[in-house]
Amino acid sequence: MSRPIAASSKAGGAGPAALLSRRNFLALSAGAGISFGFARIVDAAMDPAVPGGVPAAPHGGLIEPNLWFGIDHDGIVTVNIIRAEMGQHVGTALARILADELEADWSKVRIVHVDTDPKWGLMVTGGSWSVWQTFPLFSRAGAAGRIALIEGGARLLGVAPSACAARNGAVVAGGRSIGFGEIARRGGLTRTFTPEELEKLPIKPVKDRRLIGRPTEAVDIAAKIDGTARYGIDARVPNMVHARPLLPPTRNGSKVVSIDDGDARKVKGYIRSIALDDPSDTVPGWVMVIAETFQAALKASRHVKVRWTPGPGHGVSEKQIQDRGAELAASAEGGVDLNVADDDSTPEFDWAAATTLERIYTTATVLHFQLEPVNALAFEKDGMFEIHTGNQWQSLILPTLAKALDRPEASIVMRTYMLGGGFGRRLNGDYAVPAALAAKALGRPVKMVLTREDDVRFDSVRSPSVQRLRMAFDGSGQIQAMEHHACAGWPTQVMAGALLAKGLRGGQYDPFAIAGADHWYDVGRQRVRAIPNDLANSSFRPGWLRSVGPGWTNWALESFMDEAALQARVDPVAFRLKLLTGKGRNAGTAPSSVGGALRQAEVVRRAAARAGWGQPLPPDTGLGLATSFGQERDMPTWVACAARVRVERAKGKVIVEKLTIVTDAGTIVDPDGALAQTQGAALWGLSMALHEGTEFVNGEVRDLNLDTYMPLRIGDVPAMDISFVDSAEAPVGLGEPATTVVAPAIGNAIFRAVGVRLRHIPITPEAVREGLAIAARS
Amino acid sequence: MTTRFTINGRAVSVDADEDSALLWAIRDDIGLTGTKFGCGIGMCGACTVHVGGRATRSCITPLAAVEGADITTIEGLDPAGAHPVQKAWRALQVPQCGYCQPGQIMQVAAMLKDFPAPTDADIDAVMAGSLCRCMTYVRIRAAIKEAAAAMTKGTAKAKGAAA
Amino acid sequence: MLKRILIGIAAVLAVGLVGFGIFAWRSAIAPIQPPPASAFAPELVARGEILASAGYCATCHTAKGGQAYAGGYPMETPFGTIYSTNITPDPETGIGAWPEAAFRRAMHEGVARDGSHLFPAFPFDHFTKLSDADISALYAFFMTRKPVVAPARDNGVPFPLNIRALQAGWKLLFFKPGRFQPQAAKSAEWNRGAYLAEGLSHCGACHTPRNMLGAERRPLVYAGALIDNWVAPPLNAGNPSPVPWDRDELIAYLQSGVSHYHGTAVGPMAPVVRGLQRLPGSDINALAVYFSDRDGIEQRQGIAAPAVQQALATSSVGSGLTYDPAARLYTAACASCHYNGADAVNPLRPELALNSAVSLGDPTNLIQVILHGVGADDGVPGVVMPAFSRFSDADIARIAAYLRATRTRKGPWLDLERKVAQVRAHGPGQE
Ligand code: FES
Ligand code: FES
Repeated sequence: MSRPIAASSKAGGAGPAALLSRRNFLALSAGAGISFGFARIVDAAMDPAVPGGVPAAPHGGLIEPNLWFGIDHDGIVTVNIIRAEMGQHVGTALARILADELEADWSKVRIVHVDTDPKWGLMVTGGSWSVWQTFPLFSRAGAAGRIALIEGGARLLGVAPSACAARNGAVVAGGRSIGFGEIARRGGLTRTFTPEELEKLPIKPVKDRRLIGRPTEAVDIAAKIDGTARYGIDARVPNMVHARPLLPPTRNGSKVVSIDDGDARKVKGYIRSIALDDPSDTVPGWVMVIAETFQAALKASRHVKVRWTPGPGHGVSEKQIQDRGAELAASAEGGVDLNVADDDSTPEFDWAAATTLERIYTTATVLHFQLEPVNALAFEKDGMFEIHTGNQWQSLILPTLAKALDRPEASIVMRTYMLGGGFGRRLNGDYAVPAALAAKALGRPVKMVLTREDDVRFDSVRSPSVQRLRMAFDGSGQIQAMEHHACAGWPTQVMAGALLAKGLRGGQYDPFAIAGADHWYDVGRQRVRAIPNDLANSSFRPGWLRSVGPGWTNWALESFMDEAALQARVDPVAFRLKLLTGKGRNAGTAPSSVGGALRQAEVVRRAAARAGWGQPLPPDTGLGLATSFGQERDMPTWVACAARVRVERAKGKVIVEKLTIVTDAGTIVDPDGALAQTQGAALWGLSMALHEGTEFVNGEVRDLNLDTYMPLRIGDVPAMDISFVDSAEAPVGLGEPATTVVAPAIGNAIFRAVGVRLRHIPITPEAVREGLAIAARS
Repeated sequence: MTTRFTINGRAVSVDADEDSALLWAIRDDIGLTGTKFGCGIGMCGACTVHVGGRATRSCITPLAAVEGADITTIEGLDPAGAHPVQKAWRALQVPQCGYCQPGQIMQVAAMLKDFPAPTDADIDAVMAGSLCRCMTYVRIRAAIKEAAAAMTKGTAKAKGAAA
Repeated sequence: MLKRILIGIAAVLAVGLVGFGIFAWRSAIAPIQPPPASAFAPELVARGEILASAGYCATCHTAKGGQAYAGGYPMETPFGTIYSTNITPDPETGIGAWPEAAFRRAMHEGVARDGSHLFPAFPFDHFTKLSDADISALYAFFMTRKPVVAPARDNGVPFPLNIRALQAGWKLLFFKPGRFQPQAAKSAEWNRGAYLAEGLSHCGACHTPRNMLGAERRPLVYAGALIDNWVAPPLNAGNPSPVPWDRDELIAYLQSGVSHYHGTAVGPMAPVVRGLQRLPGSDINALAVYFSDRDGIEQRQGIAAPAVQQALATSSVGSGLTYDPAARLYTAACASCHYNGADAVNPLRPELALNSAVSLGDPTNLIQVILHGVGADDGVPGVVMPAFSRFSDADIARIAAYLRATRTRKGPWLDLERKVAQVRAHGPGQE
């Protein structure tokens, strides 16, 4: 299966981690003692542990054993992080992987989030990939450094390398030791590695790990509680002006007809309004109101009158999008079939089966609502165009910026600040473009901040979806075949077409929009069809939102599994366990999916047991279970969630009393971080199941701010029991998988509590009451 | 027009429209960026500061309203960033992206004056205005209780010493 | 409305034109050279300052951003905008040329030094009760202010109401001159409070409904009225607050701007409290004695504690898990400041279930406060309530309706959204 990483590195077939290491793992260049070129990066990069993010200068010069870290004369190890920090404490987790192999003294490890540079390779933070991708790379980078330090240390101590070991930031031989800093200072680091040598470097056995899997304080915490952490919205440079955009009525294809800023000129500090001319077509029809202060820009913008001709999607409604989805999902034509059969042939669904089951599931439009509205500071300096902002996928937006600014990509650099929430919103760096265009037009640094309402209107929302699932049983109740047709807007098609995956019969599909439907259950002949919703794609810009496709596919799949179990008259947990056999294509492959469906069966078993599956419950209370493998088959994170739910019949109120979640993510690098990510992801899932959801009205989303959009707040949080399977397997991702299991677990629990099956999220009290009324009638 | 007030113990005067929001004066004119902008309508709490010791949403507080007032921001809560609430926040590793956390911490620091031993119901009500999009709520609740316990112990000790 | 006013005017005109000219005529009092400040005893000036404060003269005689007592403050009346006058001792544009007798006549009779009648926007119907001694003190205070040159602004009162002589007719109908008469059956404290409230502090000017000619309706004294787009709530037994105003509540409110169970002084009441705060404790106490009696405290014994219990029981309504959008809106926006625990009401967390803004028949005050908040110098000093003006009319209507439904047992307010739009259009009012 083609995957984004493979696609971008043009070497299909190999796993992304291998590709990354081959491409990026640069050995020490001969004679490199003092860093050159690196200093500029250090000046520019962000250290999340220090006030203002400005990294301390290396003491006495920096030795770089390889691209990923440096050691200065005080023995301070600085690890270069190409991932964005958006709450996952990614720098801490990654640095601990490297530091563990390096045998560094953790108290002397610093991290920097680096500026963009081609040498870093693909810069993207998403898909819960960071630890999974970086683990092999950083392990070897650390191991190489350790070997080089031991050799240098041995030389300086006058002993054989074999007599030395590295431990806690020093090379020790018998009773003597020499610190890493001293080795660096005395020129002890000379060893180089070829890429081939590096790839063969052995990694420490699990039992020798000293940092991985141990609790630690994340390096970014301190600055995040005293107000000194720097986010994109805090960026500033001298002489900058402020911009507030006026957004056109449609996301695509709007054109400015006229601008009247007569009244705005009376606002003190107002400079001018510019209609952006955007060769990259990222922000068609945008007008930027420029002023000396943000307040002035805000005030002036209320007095600037713009007329537009709207583009496609003008006037479109949620119902129209959903109706279109239903039509496409029902039609036999269109869409792309995934290759999910062992023998690469997808047989026809056998409707001669004894019994069949068909159900439709839908999900509403969801907003990212990352708490920091998108913003960017852009300016030209010394021949380079600098973009200062928080971003998750620099490699995606840089070519777009190059096109928009009409300058080579190599002359644009992005500095990544802390992100006040990512959740996939900042994978799409579209917001950098208007700031850059305005800075170019004005010849002055421009800082653009979107108001919350602007941010929501400009959001790349999670597309509404319609899914049709079918299952055929033979006379003895055995499953013969299953189909899953999922129709939604396709973010990857709209924003990163090169990353579409290849399906059957030459079709291309958005892997992110269908992931999850290609599950690990044995269901006989299986068909998975991904269908783009053309009306969604043209009306707005569908986005990647925390877990993307599984946010809807798993809602449908896991609700459907309970419906199928009911049809088969089998307990839903037993039903699943029977299908998670780990045979054939579901056996899994080393390293990441080793164990396959059997590992999924294990988390299902554990979650059911911990939650007390099968034990009697009070009236109107039910326990529902759902499971998931995360996002992608070749990086599965096995999760199961049991939700205990009580339904207040009169009001239709759904009270989630407890979520029990068991996760097998292989090796856990940062246990507390893993717990935090799972807590957050599960509550996101809960929020989208019961509290969030908006709709398109007249071409734009209805809810623009928190007065009507009502995500989960502290009083909505249920009891949670979160645990991890103790594992030494390859580490996989943790940021998203738990989001996808909560909604179906709740839906299933509601059914088991009061016999009402709900097939749309968010689940509202009205829907529950309606379901109860129907149930009472029949 | 000029508005005068004190912020983190320092007297300042800000020259801006009196209907402009305190938040932007703090961030852009005074240059203290720990106070964050989230929703701009008083519904997320990211911009929470103390005015006269009470937690206040600065994004909807007009400058004119704070003439002569005494304001504290996250930067001024404790000189070493070691207010008992901050300590608890650090011990429990509350922040994820961290963007909401200055506001959360300011809200909690003020709450604990009114509710030295807050119940879950107290927390549900008082903290409802502070949205955390990363959903760190489980830890926020735990850290509030830890901070409250530490502060009560602190006062008990101080009282004991005085007695 | 206009028609009724015209009928009223006709009535005024009909009041015996015969002799009206004679009746209406007042002589001018000869101007004087402004006396030097040293002509006034410092103790007298100091006492005058306190009295001026308790009569909050500055509130109406100072324009926004203008110099103290120099006038020019616009007062919107049903009859047009009236601008207050300069009462600094500038001889040309202020009262510098006024002998004390002229000042006293203005206070007691509503007649300027030149003999012209003053509009009753100047509450001479209350000041007539002031003792000569207090008037001397006030005179001493004003004559020792810094003179400011500030000519009177033309009033926006249309013809024929702008004919000053007609004011005499108004006085004939509605004005009873005369000093305060103590009530023998009441205590000295009560009488002192009554003297201050009915005279100097002219509480009825806002809290008593007026007739269509702008005169206070005596039978409805303190029955509450709409003023400057705020509701001045009833100060009698008709006050809807669940907890009666007892002495302690009144003392706290008048002294500090914040009471335990009735919230804080906001809107046009904020400067009133700031003014009254200067009075000695005994006077505040006297006012509290007087108004708690007016509020019918004797007959309302024993209802406070259950009302507080009831309020505390509702304080957490809406927080915790709920799917009601109005409850979620209310809780996120308001509860962090207004929620009280189960045990007691914290006066710094005004309990909305006890606040008259929620229980009044008219939602104006609640809407005003939500929209415009409370500044640091109003209510509790140094503390602010933010202004939720970024909320839509629908949002504010939702919160108001929600509070009304969950915090009171009163019927719903009707047509709330339109009301919000009206209050928003009118603005916060002036102080
Ligand atoms: S930014 Fe002030 S409450 Fe959201
Ligand atoms: S930590 Fe990210 S919003 Fe709270």
